[in-house]
Amino acid sequence: MIFDYDDLKKDDESGSGLDYDNEFTKAKSFLQKSSNLSGDNVYDHLTEVLNKILAERPENVIDFFEEYSRKVKEQRFIPQTDHLEDIYVSPLRYELANKFMPFLKPAPPEEASTVDPEDLDIADMSANNMLQLLYYFEQAGIGIPRDEMYAIMLSMRRLIKSEPIASIRFWGKIYGTFKNYIVVETELREDEYLKEIEELEKQKQEEEMALQAAMQADDAVRLGDIGDIEVEAEEPIRKDKKVPRHLPPVPIIQFEEPPEPPSEFPGVGVNKKVYYVCNDPCHPWIRLPDVKPKHIVVARQIYRAFTGNLDQEIITYPEFPGTEKELLRAQIARISAGTQISPLGFYTFGGDEGEEEEEEEEEEEEEGGGAKIKTTYKESKRYEPVPMRDLTDGSMAFWVHHTLYILPQGRTTWWNPYPQAGGEEEELGEEEEEEKPKGPKLEPEIGPPLLTPLSEDATLEAVPPWSVRVSSRLITDYALAIVRSNLWPGAYCFSTQGKLFQNVYLGNGLKYMAYNFTPLPLPPIQAEYPLGPEIMEMSDPTGAQEEEWRIAHLPKEKPAKFGEEEQAEEEEEEEEEEDDD
Amino acid sequence: MDLESLLNTLETTAHSGQVLTTEEGIVLYNSLLLLQNENHFRNIYFWGRICGVDKDYFIAYGYVKDALLGRIFYYSTNCTDWGLLPQPSEKGKILTPLCITKFQGDPALVTDILLDKDETSVETVLNAPQVRQLKEEDRLACTVHLINEEAVIVPRAALFKRPDGVVVENLSFQGLERLEAQELKTYLHYRSPRNKWNINLLTRSDYNYAIDFLDTIDTDIPDGCWSIHISAGGILTVLKSLYWPGFIFYHKIGTPKYGYVYFGNGKKCIDIPFMLTFF
Repeated sequence: MIFDYDDLKKDDESGSGLDYDNEFTKAKSFLQKSSNLSGDNVYDHLTEVLNKILAERPENVIDFFEEYSRKVKEQRFIPQTDHLEDIYVSPLRYELANKFMPFLKPAPPEEASTVDPEDLDIADMSANNMLQLLYYFEQAGIGIPRDEMYAIMLSMRRLIKSEPIASIRFWGKIYGTFKNYIVVETELREDEYLKEIEELEKQKQEEEMALQAAMQADDAVRLGDIGDIEVEAEEPIRKDKKVPRHLPPVPIIQFEEPPEPPSEFPGVGVNKKVYYVCNDPCHPWIRLPDVKPKHIVVARQIYRAFTGNLDQEIITYPEFPGTEKELLRAQIARISAGTQISPLGFYTFGGDEGEEEEEEEEEEEEEGGGAKIKTTYKESKRYEPVPMRDLTDGSMAFWVHHTLYILPQGRTTWWNPYPQAGGEEEELGEEEEEEKPKGPKLEPEIGPPLLTPLSEDATLEAVPPWSVRVSSRLITDYALAIVRSNLWPGAYCFSTQGKLFQNVYLGNGLKYMAYNFTPLPLPPIQAEYPLGPEIMEMSDPTGAQEEEWRIAHLPKEKPAKFGEEEQAEEEEEEEEEEDDD
Repeated sequence: MDLESLLNTLETTAHSGQVLTTEEGIVLYNSLLLLQNENHFRNIYFWGRICGVDKDYFIAYGYVKDALLGRIFYYSTNCTDWGLLPQPSEKGKILTPLCITKFQGDPALVTDILLDKDETSVETVLNAPQVRQLKEEDRLACTVHLINEEAVIVPRAALFKRPDGVVVENLSFQGLERLEAQELKTYLHYRSPRNKWNINLLTRSDYNYAIDFLDTIDTDIPDGCWSIHISAGGILTVLKSLYWPGFIFYHKIGTPKYGYVYFGNGKKCIDIPFMLTFF
């Protein structure tokens, strides 16, 4: 522009030479003219932008020139002398650091106790070196951030000191939409289980008492109600026989809920382990309630993302009897049953010594249910590590389940809802023998026994249940065998050449479904009344039909002499008509 | 995820439970650099891993000039030998969601897909159940395409549209602020925008022609299909898509570090209406 201007000038003032200074001042003063909106001017702005560019010397600056220019402008609005800046804004991680710090301080030296350390009964944490575990996780392609892993380890140490725990294991992590759950699997001490069973029984008795009382009260009320209705209903009918008409009796609900299978005792079956969860390793651990069969049954029929809030209501169809706490516990039980595996031979049923066998049998009898399934196992002393070649064999014959299959009923041992009198069922628990609702004899549900090889697993919907990998193709000496479940995405098991193995679950707690989720259809609508002409809708008679009827019902011709009689007849006719309606 | 982050996935993608193993990381770090050099890419990224029954697929992409339209995808089953991922075909895009088997890990495998009689997503009306065939390589390409369309995101201002229309990475991206990072509005779909340009521009008051040209994710249906976590005590924001379980996006608040990766089995979850609580 200035160039053009120069030319013009040349023409105008030819010969007199250019007044460069004057033109420069004019141009500068134009650039310095401040905007009447913001008060800025181009000259200062360009100076600042060029200054910034020259100071920072970024690459390809021309591509981002606008961005730079904008940033310089933005900078201008940040007051340089802000007297309100006395408020200190804490850095991003401050809150976490604050919570985490108490864990990181070394514990004060404990007072020398007179108790033998072995009697202290503190769970063994030696198998829970989380950082070692993390190393293996990383080789297997899964992981939890290192600091979190460390925090979990510290937190677990706290847990075993505060709770009566006999053994503890990191179970995994469940990712929710708002928060995640860290889950540890524990076994309580024997006496603790016994205590809980006692409490449960006491509670049960109380509940039964309360139930009976409630039922009696209920019956009384119901009888009273019916009486009232009858009295109310009878009176008007006596006065006027036709209107209102007799109503059919109130329909009775004929659906009887099938008996609910009792939950397994603490320390048995699906409740063999106790689970503690927390959202954050700095938070206290929360014990999950024992799982009930109905929770498992419903959890199988719904598909629900976890939110991270244990008290979240679960609104689904079929209705889930509980909050997210129960759902989480049920899913953990399902995942454990489906995916906890170990190399072949690591666990045995311990049939070597006679004593133990007897103990086992006793235990089984205690459990009731007449189960012949072995439910206990122990580490085999004569275990020889399975070679790597076998562990990574596609047939999966060298891996076995070590958690019991959960039957469709929601228990690991089958409970007969309609026990037959006498016969084999005598072994059943006492409480079941008290009341014997008559029912069909059911075929007991059976699942695969413990320590069944994975090769026996059913292939569901064309999805092979397991995939196996070797962690390294280059350094095979230290490679791990990694088994991942295709039915429960996120369930892994790794083994170091058969010596050490660990199951872990890192996923969202939902099962894989090839055909996606389909909710249960609603049950068919029950008939309120038996179908009959009283409740069926009829079409109104046409005029012709009415006429026909009228002719058919014409009064017989009588010599009508007495007005009274006629009247009476008419009344009769009316009555008849009404009857026929 | 850029190459620098490949070696330290434990601090980023581990927030979703999955990482690259040390060996995979090292192999990818080197083989992708070679791939970049061969193709003269300006930048190369690791895209994710799709788990198969026998083998896993590793996906990577690079671009020469345009970071949005010029992305070229490669796949590999062993992290070392990379093959060009074919363009997703129209037929494949229709058949992929109907394929219910898992990926096997063999690109040449041909899967039979049974179409129901009343299948509506096919262009023609079917009079009888039909069997169609789909090669796993095409299926992989379509799956990657679908994930790119629906799940892959970038933070606002990370991509910059130059006046000549070419999309490049914004070198002056300083990272999101803490409050910004908690809003879905500040994350944009990394795909050719579907909304009109002025719709995307006018969703915010501090709009900028050069950076607000992509669709924001806050209008995705249903509400709640994105889960946003502020992890590691507030320095890392992690986004997950419920539609594509296994997709994770992370961004270190206040720094230009961001990335996304997909570790999953390549199956879209369409059960979201059952999974969320809407009341």
